[in-house]
Amino acid sequence: MAERINLKEVERKVYTSYHQDGLIDISIAFVILTFGIMMILDLGWMGGVFAVVGMSLYAAAKKTLTVPRIGFVKFAHYRAKAMQAVAIGVLSLMVLLGMLAFMQTEEGGTPPWLLFAIENHMLVIGVSVAASFCAAGYTFRTKRMYAYALLTLAIFVTGHFLYYPLHYYLILLGTLILLSGLAMVIRFIRRYPLSTTEPTGDSGNDG
Amino acid sequence: MTANEARDDEFPSIPKVDKIVHEPARFTIMAHLFVVESADFLFLQRQTGLTWGNLSSHISKLEAAGYVEVKKEFLDRKPHTTLQLTNKGRTAFQEYRESMKRMFSKLPR
Repeated sequence: MAERINLKEVERKVYTSYHQDGLIDISIAFVILTFGIMMILDLGWMGGVFAVVGMSLYAAAKKTLTVPRIGFVKFAHYRAKAMQAVAIGVLSLMVLLGMLAFMQTEEGGTPPWLLFAIENHMLVIGVSVAASFCAAGYTFRTKRMYAYALLTLAIFVTGHFLYYPLHYYLILLGTLILLSGLAMVIRFIRRYPLSTTEPTGDSGNDG
Repeated sequence: MTANEARDDEFPSIPKVDKIVHEPARFTIMAHLFVVESADFLFLQRQTGLTWGNLSSHISKLEAAGYVEVKKEFLDRKPHTTLQLTNKGRTAFQEYRESMKRMFSKLPR
């Protein structure tokens, strides 16, 4: 038995089943969509507010929709900790780049690397969002996040050559992920009807 | 060294295998608890495919052996059971896997 069972596969199955409800997809789509819509309204800074709202909605929906159907599991934290370290590293790098850009601009004109990034902002944003999806795929062990990363790259690389405003691509990406998430939620609810409560005593067959 | 002792050195005898872990349903339960920090009864039932009664019975045995810690509480006036592998259970599971691997690796192909 020990020869046949693969603990990594068991772990992957546990992660996959807990995140098959599509709620994480809907939350991500909500954040991307609202950011795109806020950009149209010239309120792009509100994106941060909706990110917090999206996370709160995710937690509430998980508790209401998922836990009564498939139960609750607390995962080992080593992946989350690794991701926190990566996130802190990326944020530090972004702060450093920002400071460097500010200092160089103050000294005399826009540095060439910043001009390059501004000229190719669609590619820069596309790669950043795709990298975030890959990180989410690793953390939650969900392969579809890698598919979203590819979708993001496809949309933003296309956008690089089409010259439409950024928010169109954000809304397109958000809508596609939202549709995928909604389809998953419907499938999840059909597959896992609400469970009856636990029995109060120990009973049943012995194995 | 007797012939039996020599044989034991190279091949862990079956009676030495931890029978609590060896039972397939309990092994499956332990494998699922091994890869997470804790899980509730419903989650384990969904993952293992065991019935309430069967799962409850196996959990009782694992709890009696000190391999699983069971926390019972009421959430919204409904019984809720959270399960976690103890350090003893984690060690027993690892030892079982290693002894099985050693044993199978000695078998002729």
